[in-house]
Amino acid sequence: MPTVVRNLGVFLISFLLFSLVLSVPAWAQPAPVDFIRDVRPILATHCFQCHGPDAASRKANLRLDVADGLKRKTNSGRLVVVPGKPQESELFVRITSKQPDYRMPPPSAEQQLTEQDIEVLRRWIEQGAPWQEHWAYQTPVKPTVPQVGDRSWCRNPIDRFILARLEREGLSPSPEADKETLIRRVTFDLTGLPPTPAEVDAFLRDDRPDAYERLVDRLLASPRYGEHMARFWLDAARYGDTHGLHLDNYREMWPYRDWVIKAFNQNLPYDQFIIWQLAGDLLPNPTLDQLVATGFNRAHVTTNEGGSIVEEVYVRNVVDRVVTTATVFMGLTFDCARCHDHKYDPFTMKDFYSMFAFFNSLDGSPMDGNRKDPPPVIKVPTREQRRRMAALERQIEALEQKLREPWPAVDQAQREWEAAVLAELAKERAELALGDWYWVGPFGSVKRYLWSRKHGPEGKPIDLSQTFKTAAGELKWQHRPDWADGKVHTDLPGNEAANFLYRKIVAAEPRKVKVSLGSDDAIKVYLNGKLVFQKNVHRGVAPDQDTVELSLEKGDNHLLIKIINYGGGSGYYFKVLDQAASVPPELAEILKVPAEKRTDEQKARLRDHFRNKVCQLPELVEVRQQLAALRKARTDLDRQIATTLIFRERKQPKPAFILYRGEYDKPRDRVDRATPAILPPMKPDMPKNRLGFAMWLVDRDHPLTARVTVNRFWQQVFGVGLVKTAEDFGVQGELPSHPELLDWLAVDFQDHGWDVKRFMRLIVTSATYRQSSRITPELYRRDPENRLLARGPRFRLDAEMLRDQALAVSGLLCLKMGGPSVKPPQPDGLWFAVGYSGSNTVRFKKDSGHDKVHRRTVYTFIKRTAPPPQLSIFDAPSRESTCVRRERTNTPLQALALWNDPQYVECARGLAERALREAGATAEERVRFMYRLCTARWPDATRLAELIDLARDLHEIYAAHPDEARKLIAIGEYPPDPSFDPIELATWTMVANTILNLDEVVTKN
Amino acid sequence: MDPIREHMLALTRRHFFGRMAMGLGTAALASLLQRAEANAASRTDVGRGILGSPHFAPKAKRAIYLFMAGGPAHMDLFDYKPNLKDWFDKDLPESVRMGQRLTTMTSGQKRLPIAPSKFKFKQCGQSGAWISELLPYHQRMVDDICIIKTLHTEAINHDPAITYICTGHQLPGRPSLGAWISYGLGSENDNLPTFIVMTPTWTGRKEAQALFNRLWGSGFLPTRHAGVALRRTGDPVLFLSNPDGVSPAVRRRTLEAIERINQQTYREIGDPETLTRIAQYEMAFRMQSSVPELLDISDEPKYILDMYGPDVYKPGTFARCALLARRMMERGVRFVQIFHRGWDQHGNIARDLPNQCRDVDQPCWALITDLKQRGLLDETLVVWGGEFGRTIYCQGKLTRENYGRDHHPRCFTIWMAGGGIKPGIVYGETDDFAYNIVENPVHIHDLNATILYCLGIDHKRLTYRFQGLDMRLTGVDRPVSPVMDIIT
Repeated sequence: MPTVVRNLGVFLISFLLFSLVLSVPAWAQPAPVDFIRDVRPILATHCFQCHGPDAASRKANLRLDVADGLKRKTNSGRLVVVPGKPQESELFVRITSKQPDYRMPPPSAEQQLTEQDIEVLRRWIEQGAPWQEHWAYQTPVKPTVPQVGDRSWCRNPIDRFILARLEREGLSPSPEADKETLIRRVTFDLTGLPPTPAEVDAFLRDDRPDAYERLVDRLLASPRYGEHMARFWLDAARYGDTHGLHLDNYREMWPYRDWVIKAFNQNLPYDQFIIWQLAGDLLPNPTLDQLVATGFNRAHVTTNEGGSIVEEVYVRNVVDRVVTTATVFMGLTFDCARCHDHKYDPFTMKDFYSMFAFFNSLDGSPMDGNRKDPPPVIKVPTREQRRRMAALERQIEALEQKLREPWPAVDQAQREWEAAVLAELAKERAELALGDWYWVGPFGSVKRYLWSRKHGPEGKPIDLSQTFKTAAGELKWQHRPDWADGKVHTDLPGNEAANFLYRKIVAAEPRKVKVSLGSDDAIKVYLNGKLVFQKNVHRGVAPDQDTVELSLEKGDNHLLIKIINYGGGSGYYFKVLDQAASVPPELAEILKVPAEKRTDEQKARLRDHFRNKVCQLPELVEVRQQLAALRKARTDLDRQIATTLIFRERKQPKPAFILYRGEYDKPRDRVDRATPAILPPMKPDMPKNRLGFAMWLVDRDHPLTARVTVNRFWQQVFGVGLVKTAEDFGVQGELPSHPELLDWLAVDFQDHGWDVKRFMRLIVTSATYRQSSRITPELYRRDPENRLLARGPRFRLDAEMLRDQALAVSGLLCLKMGGPSVKPPQPDGLWFAVGYSGSNTVRFKKDSGHDKVHRRTVYTFIKRTAPPPQLSIFDAPSRESTCVRRERTNTPLQALALWNDPQYVECARGLAERALREAGATAEERVRFMYRLCTARWPDATRLAELIDLARDLHEIYAAHPDEARKLIAIGEYPPDPSFDPIELATWTMVANTILNLDEVVTKN
Repeated sequence: MDPIREHMLALTRRHFFGRMAMGLGTAALASLLQRAEANAASRTDVGRGILGSPHFAPKAKRAIYLFMAGGPAHMDLFDYKPNLKDWFDKDLPESVRMGQRLTTMTSGQKRLPIAPSKFKFKQCGQSGAWISELLPYHQRMVDDICIIKTLHTEAINHDPAITYICTGHQLPGRPSLGAWISYGLGSENDNLPTFIVMTPTWTGRKEAQALFNRLWGSGFLPTRHAGVALRRTGDPVLFLSNPDGVSPAVRRRTLEAIERINQQTYREIGDPETLTRIAQYEMAFRMQSSVPELLDISDEPKYILDMYGPDVYKPGTFARCALLARRMMERGVRFVQIFHRGWDQHGNIARDLPNQCRDVDQPCWALITDLKQRGLLDETLVVWGGEFGRTIYCQGKLTRENYGRDHHPRCFTIWMAGGGIKPGIVYGETDDFAYNIVENPVHIHDLNATILYCLGIDHKRLTYRFQGLDMRLTGVDRPVSPVMDIIT
């Protein structure tokens, strides 16, 4: 049978049988057993351990995970399985044997077959022992949309699949939800925020037939859409703001988060979304965005724990990349194959390490150095920073140009100066000559290492042609003839970084010379390789902060100064206190050459020296000052530009080996890059690297990527995926509830260019989505998890939505997008309770200001070893490892958070202030106003009465305790509006707090 | 909706509001009466765990794990090696090290000179166990505890090692021991969390190794099984206290409104999750009084407080936490874990180790004694230990008076006591260098299996399907079994 037809058959059967599972156990059915649903799980659980894909632990050379395994003859002379004849099948004889040494599974096995299991296997053999490959490894083919009885209900093909199933179950869909419920539901699902009353009003007024579709289009176009979609992806990508292990220091990666948001908002086709993240660096002439996207493979946790073995950490990092890639894109539980061939799915250790070979060649250390920018990284200026930088470059270039051009007045002065210097040189040989400055930096590092460890040129003979590799790229020595002595220089770059200054000093005789120094911050001075002075201070630079006496040798002396910046600006000051020659020795040599014989370079050096250091003509001095100011502005700006971790391939890929038992120090056979053997192979035009791997993932033949993707989007909206185990599409995963629909969606998604907005629109405009979520006892009994979708989705809002909703309805929400992660208030001491004393995230310091504490939650700073409680209490993952499906729990700690978290209290006050300001003077008007903001509906009489009663009782309490009222309303980032009566405001704050805790408010209805 | 369940829920609510009328002080008593009803409201964290009933008759109902984070030096505390006096500053024989991998903190050292313990040991009690002078109170209680000298692990650095022993895996992502217990057995009470964690202060090495929320996290289990970390400052349980200006009366009044409107919502929509939410709000309200009551030690007589030592008067100390752990046991908290940091003595053992010991020695003794005199020790399992041991060879400068020790995974000492554990025995033997195990090795998985066993759980049968596998705390990479020799 051609694969296509066979697959369809398989689906049809499993499709039909799945429906039975929901009501009655399968074994009780007289209907034929289904291999995939009934038989394979038994074989997998009880047999595959010893007779499965894992060659190492396979016994008797017998496999029960492949069709061929059943056809083998065993030692007894019987075939493993004789179709139609259980009693002649070795398999059946063994599982029913009474002899302990013959029986399978052996009596020592942890799990024994039940009588029902044996009965299923018996009937399966009796029915001819049909074999089917696992559905998820077959390329999906677009099925025909099923016929249904009631076509009028259906709005798009999704509904036909859903309805066909419901009709078979004898169920009918629920009526459409009312418009208020609908706009709140869809606004949350597409933007993560509630609708405003004005938006609700507009929708209610709009009686055009496509009013709902128009609403959906408006939401899809909102920038809030990308912020909402991104946070699901950030769970999968395990994005965090710290390294996650040991010190758990700050890691700067938020440009990656911003890129994800942008990608969703710009509706980057999802295949490109995948390719950029896995291999953006390997695309031809990659753009900044494509490079930033590769942060996906750097987002895993890293360590720099003292004592770590680098090779072990390297293996762990790569394993995380492989496991995450397999889970997120293919729904495969690849981790099992790290130590042994997979026990259930047809994946071998060779498959695992062949995939490992794609991801193991990062051009950077596996250790994070405890720094925010472990290489490779890239600078990501904002648009504004880029604009300012270009402007500064232009201005600097113009002034530099001016300093190079002929300037009659200045040139005249130079000629006079040259003559004077020559005359002086002729008189007596200078005792001391100072060379020009050379500079290299910045060398970034962890603060305490800046002082304690050697960087760059430190500890080695100076070689001005040497280059230094750093996170930010390669550094070279720069000639700085413009750095004049006796002046404060404040343009050393880098934050928490070291810079080095070098100059040659030529002494005619051995002598001592005193120099005066200044530095921001710490300073070390080396003369001829010896440390002659050091001072570890935090300070701003000023003239004459320290004096050092240098003992010069006769001839060349090498002076190296290390300036350590502990943060903010950085600079130095240098001046020789004793008399020195008026020109550096190399210039003296040039001067001796007659003017007309000097090379262009010699002329330029003389000119630069004169114009930069000697000339005092006011018009020139002004240019010099302007230039200095601009350069300082440029270094300051550069310091502010964020970096982000990216993936860059090393020139020579690292070899990969099968690691025995997954242990880093037990490499066995070397393996090449290859995709898992059971899946369709890479095509010839796909390069054997991450780019080829990514292309393979999004190829039409790939059976998993599109299915896994659409399933997650489905899960996002309906709460449960069509495959419930979104992380596992393998043999042990759950079968799809609607296999044909899943395939239809997957193929349709690819047919339409992996267009995510189109796909989300398809889902939310379906009649299935638009159903009311009311649950009858009968329906609940039939389908508690709502897998059949005879009603609309209803579940608690996620952590981010809850907080964003409270901020939105209170009017506090700040919609500023992007930028560094922010730290809204959290209880004291959570970081300190667990943090390593030397970590730079050991103390939490709340941000202040509206644009920090009232931002959308997707921008909240995530310290991975102690994530924000407002998130984790509501099931947000710690981002230590990939997460494609959140739990959804209902606990008392959640009630406490929504009641008492100061930020929720502040939101309640904000909501109350709005009510006092915008609603009328009566309790009824205020209740109606607040309730509608939070639910999109008007309260019914019961709720209205309940909340008015509440307000009356609270008012009585606060009137008796006005101090309490004042205390309550003082909570929050800003003081309350003084025009309100504290008793009133406190009363309504607590009414708002009550409303924000209602089931219908914390739930998507 | 199951009509029986609905009825039970209604009962629960009546009890709840009825009790509020009686006053909150009776909450603990009432909770005993109420547990059956609360069980009916399944899907709250009150009630039975996934196992329904334990696999076998539990030896202990509850457990306290005193975790010494950083890796206590076993040869300076429990694993006495008198013969090493002659080995001072001699190299560790290669025949002992046998290619054992070292952390990169000492793998660069030119020599691995032996540092015999500078502390005096004393043979104590009926059992005759040797205990260091640093632990004088432990010397008094050897006959109540079982000392195991042969724990071992594979991890050699803190983060992987502590993650391993606490979650069964070296990398983040798995549920912690306490989360598994909560998942398996559920709660014994309905106004306190099932699994509580405390992180006291310490006085040894100031630069202490980090802890991680994952050490008491729920991994892939539902988050309600995660440990609730009591905080040293502010609200002991996050967001427990009402905000300034919100009295219990105000809170109670708003709760009534929430409940009535949620009832209305339930009548309209019919989502059972709404009923669960009502139950959870009730429990939240109860916790607002039960947790402060738990932490308020003013009802403890002075002689009890004094037993725990002077530190008990300072909130946030190990002594205070030990006392609170006892109070939690009395109130039916299933699992308590105290993480005492500062045991990472790479240098300056002479100053730091005595300080660390002073923090915990007397409180440990007091805890055991206190549980015993209340008849609670029989049903409470107590475990003391860290994530690995320390090397017999010196890290850094070696003198007779002072030295440091690196991490050592091949053997380390812990002790257990209480429900299910044979008291007064020493189990396992290490070689002359406290370096290798010569008899009765106990892998950290075996320890966790033993802890579960004492609580009535077969570690192989407490599983959770995740990523296609039946995951369990003790992994599948090696044979694991409880240490039956130490179990009563």
